[in-house]
Amino acid sequence: MNVLIALVKRELQEHKVGLIYAPFIVATILSLVIVLVYFGVADIKTNEFNFSTSVYENGEAVEWMRAATVDQKERVIRSGLIVLGFPIAFIMIFAVLSYSLGTFYEERKDKSIIFWRSLPISDLETVLSKVFVVVFVAPLIILPALIFLHMVALLSASIFFAVSDIVPFTWIWNAYSILDWLRIIFSLWMQLLWSLPIFAWLMLAGAYSRKPIVAAVLPLVGIIAIEKVVLGSAVFLATAIERVQPWSLMSSFPKQYEELRVVEIADIPLLLATQEFWYGMLISVLLIGAIVYIRSRSEYSSVE
Amino acid sequence: MQNDIVVRARGIKKRYSDNNALNGLDLDLHQGQILGLIGPNGAGKSTFLHAVLGLLKSEGSLEVMGLEPFKNRHQLLKKVCSITDVAVLPKWMTVEQMLEYVEGVHPEFDPKKARNILSKTNIKNKSKIRTLSRGMIVQLHLAIIMAIDAELLVLDEPTLGLDLVYRKEFYSRLIEDYFDGNKTILISTHQVEEIEGVLTDVVFLDKGRAVMKESIDSLNQRFLELRPNADNNEKAKSLNPINIRTELGRTVFLYENMDIEKLSSLGEVRPPFIADLFVAIMNRSDQSGEQS
Repeated sequence: MNVLIALVKRELQEHKVGLIYAPFIVATILSLVIVLVYFGVADIKTNEFNFSTSVYENGEAVEWMRAATVDQKERVIRSGLIVLGFPIAFIMIFAVLSYSLGTFYEERKDKSIIFWRSLPISDLETVLSKVFVVVFVAPLIILPALIFLHMVALLSASIFFAVSDIVPFTWIWNAYSILDWLRIIFSLWMQLLWSLPIFAWLMLAGAYSRKPIVAAVLPLVGIIAIEKVVLGSAVFLATAIERVQPWSLMSSFPKQYEELRVVEIADIPLLLATQEFWYGMLISVLLIGAIVYIRSRSEYSSVE
Repeated sequence: MQNDIVVRARGIKKRYSDNNALNGLDLDLHQGQILGLIGPNGAGKSTFLHAVLGLLKSEGSLEVMGLEPFKNRHQLLKKVCSITDVAVLPKWMTVEQMLEYVEGVHPEFDPKKARNILSKTNIKNKSKIRTLSRGMIVQLHLAIIMAIDAELLVLDEPTLGLDLVYRKEFYSRLIEDYFDGNKTILISTHQVEEIEGVLTDVVFLDKGRAVMKESIDSLNQRFLELRPNADNNEKAKSLNPINIRTELGRTVFLYENMDIEKLSSLGEVRPPFIADLFVAIMNRSDQSGEQS
């Protein structure tokens, strides 16, 4: 356990900007925007999206809020919070993609792999610790940032509602589900497991190539092109796209979500029951095995 | 003697696409020895040390503390420490992060000892490794290694690129603070003269083979260097030296298995420096190679 903690800590220390700072910076910026909006200083309006206090000048919206049931309130609050969380989740996914591509490349580039491999840690332990960071640790890190952002949003809204005499301060809080944190974290964990073949593929490119981006992209483009020319189909491309989308959107997923893909923890067994999930796991295991093999034969550490 | 063998290498070969880095190397390293691997560039020194550390796969039979290094690298590295290149410490880490990391992954690491060693240097715990000079990075690496209770220490050009002060300090710390007679050290360097007084044994490597293996004591008995008085040069030549060279205007003769009494009457006699002996042995080996 100490070894795993030391390995994970090292990864976080090395990649602190992407994995730790970036989600908190985004959360802080969003929090500021929210506070400014509720102070009436700013508003955000697009064709599809309107985040401003002017919404409540409309009597209908206030009427609806006053008449809303707990279920309705819960759904609205949840949708708002999920929309707010998207930028943080995107930053995390971006950081994890960049981490996956760079982690085995950087240690070769600065030759630190020679030092890491001079310590009694097997290549398998090292590789698994990095996979563990991608799948389990990265989502855990953004959780405090998400909670902070959500609390700022809910508190600002509650104060605004109470001060403006729209609804009482408690309107949000008696409909807010604390279990949503669990839903978010489990959803993200499952998402990263679902997308693991992509992360493992990027790690592999970084483990052997001098140009990891080219090594990651070119073979995929090649397979897609060959399939298109030879078979006239695009199954590989469709499968790859499915892996970067939310798992609940997979074609064979037995449940349809009406709004915003808010998954329930109870739906996780549905994912685990799909063949696609386990195909992904199998491919990930093979890719991870290849990374371990390549790293254990890292003769570039030989100087003569 | 068999029980105290730390490294046993028989017929070790390593081929790269364009050359044979190791070409049937045989070598035994016993507990308590400080063995220097001496050889020109491309002789196979680093390749052999990397094979000992399990960093690369080689042909032949190689055992380090009874284990095959490539297959058991993880297990082996609990007992074996190394400095294979001074520039390999990760530059983004701070000194404190480095100590915490090694403490987390190495069961034999004593962080108090490392901090104690570092407190005698100018290295600050909060410093990032990228801000340290090359000499300080070596000091840090050595402090980490010295705080690990390892049985075998492998040093591959550990002082490369360092100035004289750091090089001297490195070896004096190594011998005074680390080596206790039970530990074993395997070291390769180009700067032979600096480790000369440290070694108990030497192996001369050339083209992936050991051309000579001797203890320092036995070398000092087997080889003698004569700086004859001016009128004794011809007599000295007639005693079949294995090498003759000129040094500051004086001719120096190197002999193998020669009676010291015979030489003493001709001039100043002393055991050769390893570097001079190495050059002589390499010349002899080249000549015999050309003849064959």
